[in-house]
Amino acid sequence: MAINQVFKSASAIVQGLGITFKEMMKPTVTEDYPDVPPVFQERFRGKHELQRDENGMEKCVACFLCAAACPADCIYIEAAENTDKVRISGGERYASVYNIDYTRCIFCGYCVEACPTDAITHGHGFELAAYDTAALIMRKEDMLVAVPPGARPPVIAEAAASHGH
Amino acid sequence: MSNPVNLTIDGKAVQAAPGTLLIDAAKQSGILIPAFCYYEGYSLQAACRMCLVEVEKFPKLQAACTLPVAEGMVVRTEAASAVQARKTTLEFLLTNHPLDCPVCDKGGECELQDMVFRYGAGESRFTEVKHHVDEKQWSPVVYYDAPRCILCYRCVRVCDEGMGVTALGITHRGAYSEITPNKGDHLNCDQCGACIDICPVGALTSGIYRYQTRPWEMEHVGTICTHCSDGCKTTLGVRNNEIVRGNNRDSTGINGEFLCIKGRYAFDFIKHEDRLQSPMVRRNGKLEEVSWAEAVKAVAARFAEIKAAGGAIGVAGSVHSTNEESYFLQKFARQGLGTPHIDHARSGDVPALIHALAGKTDALATADSLYHAKAVLVVDADLSQQHPFLAFQVRANVRHHQAAVYTVTRGPVREEQTAAKAVHTADYLAGVRGLGEDLKKHADLVIVFGDGIKGAAVGELVAFGDSLGIPVRYVCLVDYSNSRGAMDMGLLPELGPGYHPAAVRGMSLPQMAASQDLAALWVVGADPLAGGKRLASGKAFVVVQDLFLTDTAKQADVVLPSASAYEKSGTVTNVTGQIQRLKKGLNIMGAKPDLEIFGLIARAMGVDAGRAQNEAVFEEIRKSVRGYNVPLPVLATGGAAQAQPVNGRVDVLPDPELVRSAGDTLFTSGSLGRYSKILGSVMEAPGALYKG
Ligand code: SF4
Ligand code: SF4
Ligand code: SF4
Ligand code: SF4
Ligand code: SF4
Ligand code: FES
Repeated sequence: MAINQVFKSASAIVQGLGITFKEMMKPTVTEDYPDVPPVFQERFRGKHELQRDENGMEKCVACFLCAAACPADCIYIEAAENTDKVRISGGERYASVYNIDYTRCIFCGYCVEACPTDAITHGHGFELAAYDTAALIMRKEDMLVAVPPGARPPVIAEAAASHGH
Repeated sequence: MSNPVNLTIDGKAVQAAPGTLLIDAAKQSGILIPAFCYYEGYSLQAACRMCLVEVEKFPKLQAACTLPVAEGMVVRTEAASAVQARKTTLEFLLTNHPLDCPVCDKGGECELQDMVFRYGAGESRFTEVKHHVDEKQWSPVVYYDAPRCILCYRCVRVCDEGMGVTALGITHRGAYSEITPNKGDHLNCDQCGACIDICPVGALTSGIYRYQTRPWEMEHVGTICTHCSDGCKTTLGVRNNEIVRGNNRDSTGINGEFLCIKGRYAFDFIKHEDRLQSPMVRRNGKLEEVSWAEAVKAVAARFAEIKAAGGAIGVAGSVHSTNEESYFLQKFARQGLGTPHIDHARSGDVPALIHALAGKTDALATADSLYHAKAVLVVDADLSQQHPFLAFQVRANVRHHQAAVYTVTRGPVREEQTAAKAVHTADYLAGVRGLGEDLKKHADLVIVFGDGIKGAAVGELVAFGDSLGIPVRYVCLVDYSNSRGAMDMGLLPELGPGYHPAAVRGMSLPQMAASQDLAALWVVGADPLAGGKRLASGKAFVVVQDLFLTDTAKQADVVLPSASAYEKSGTVTNVTGQIQRLKKGLNIMGAKPDLEIFGLIARAMGVDAGRAQNEAVFEEIRKSVRGYNVPLPVLATGGAAQAQPVNGRVDVLPDPELVRSAGDTLFTSGSLGRYSKILGSVMEAPGALYKG
């Protein structure tokens, strides 16, 4: 083995370690998921959220436009009429059933674009693994955001009462 | 075309008959001029200004819906000035319009939406607060949302001219104008929903369909209404195995857009909570739910026993079953069970008419003849109540062709409003004869008669028709969706399929009920023991196939749940002998179509009655029932083919005494009607026959 080959190897190792030491001094870029929650860009399209308005009413009026826009055909809605006693949304109609099938959703965001009331948005939820595909069909309750603090949607309480809960 | 007028529309040379409206001439050559208030078949309104077009040599834009074509006219439908005018019209229409398309039932099939999309008047320069009026409910069927109304008057005209009800009008002025119902705050009317259907926007909505779904979310199944015998085509909107609406979207049937409340809304009986969904067998005096296999076995075993012992088996067929089912039933009964005792609830004396018309051609009217005949004579029928579609045809004929209408009835009927002469008598033939001189004046005549003319009277009526010396065509009224088919298929003790005399004359329904030694009674979609009547023969084994636990079913030994017309395929024949195809819309768990049930029983008995399958049975019907050799493509494409006139004597005429119409009104429909909540909720209007 020629001596210059030994020097060549040694300098390559020093060069490599140099990079290592230089990077050690810089701030970390990888994330410590799952120990630390990951950070997303605002535009990240994760699990959907169904929004409420400032009064705590559901924004969705069951217009079916998201379902029509969905290329994967994974949104299923049943509509019902708001009455004086049971008032769920701000419009005349609300979604009594709203399901998204996450085995099919391709997170394209078309539903969000189609929604005339900004009721459906993509949240940042991404932990969508399950042992059972049926668990991936999310219901309205799984996606609906909490009533904003301070808001008192009066008739929702009555609705719940009238359903005997 | 006599001396057609030549004109140019959008650079295209167009020919049209003199007097044609510009909007129609354009449409005929494939150019669609936008319109809201113009509606073919109804009077002109010229209220909306959407149809403005540029016509050379006219200083101003012209309304194409009222301008007749003229020689040498040069029209530009999409000239910049016309487009601008439409845009402005739309902007005005939207000043007070709520634009709540996402929750509006019309969204997706709204003419205003389409126009705004096309002409792009989405931005409004009006910033004032919109005038708002709360939505009103006028009846269980009709809701009105004034802010969405564009005041096109279509609803007012269809109710007045089309229905002859005149329940809608306009009150207030300008931006405050509103459609108002006849009772101020509610409607007392036919509840036909024609106004809702014709409304170009979502101002009129139906209590049945409201807020349920959206047009693109449904499957649209074109089938035939299962209520009266008029045979209207209705397009069911089906979603998740539920019917959410009925209308005739594509206007293809014999009825165009017409439907009465029954065809449009009274499909709710299929989901009534009393609907039978499991077979039942009587054990220890009580009906107990069992499996299909068990119930079929029980029926087959008992039938085989009775047949072997030579016992008399009575069979009652249905007036709602398909032709295939009725044909198969009588064949199975006659050949498989070896019984001649077959009957159904007869409501019109069709065999007598066919016999009286022997040797004549073109003597049976179709629904279309009622629209084209120069004169129509209605004998013993409250047409608007009992046969809403036939009455609609007559009204349209009066409106478009100034037809002369004559009525001979036992009380006032709606047709009198426009009748040339109305006679009130219970001696119908005498009443008819009194009109002889008037009827002779017309070029042709259609005579429509109810169950007051039966037996020998039918022959006398036809003889009277012959004496007029003008072409006369006839309609013998029958009650239900396949009453006519039941007779044609031979559900009669005296006659087999195609009105051929039966080999052995059997017992009629009343005779079966009175017979001491009836061993079995098989009732398919009928209720011969209604009102708690009992069979004279205490030992009879009673099998009932029905949708509900009828009075007869309550006495049955075996009850089999059957499918309604909306849950099966096959063909039915309407009152004017027009054959149309049913298309299956949905499934009801547990229930089976009658044909399938017959097939199961036949197989369990080891009887060969042919394949119990629609196409195979219909092929057999076409070959063996006189008049039914109709072209298949017509049926397959959703059309109506009239059964050819039998044109021969009927050698044995059934007993006319058994012919009795149930006398249903607009809001009743035999046993089906009792299970329709919507029919039960609108009972206010006329309520009884012969109230005018
Ligand atoms: S989420 Fe939005 S688009 Fe979907 S039905 Fe509700 S309101 Fe309509
Ligand atoms: S009537 Fe038409 S334009 Fe008006 S809210 Fe309804 S769908 Fe929209
Ligand atoms: S439902 Fe029929 S009868 Fe009643 S107002 Fe409307 S069009 Fe007239
Ligand atoms: S209710 Fe409908 S059909 Fe009647 S005038 Fe208004 S927009 Fe026209
Ligand atoms: S007229 Fe008769 S066939 Fe037509 S929709 Fe009414 S009930 Fe049905
Ligand atoms: S369609 Fe011509 S004015 Fe309305």
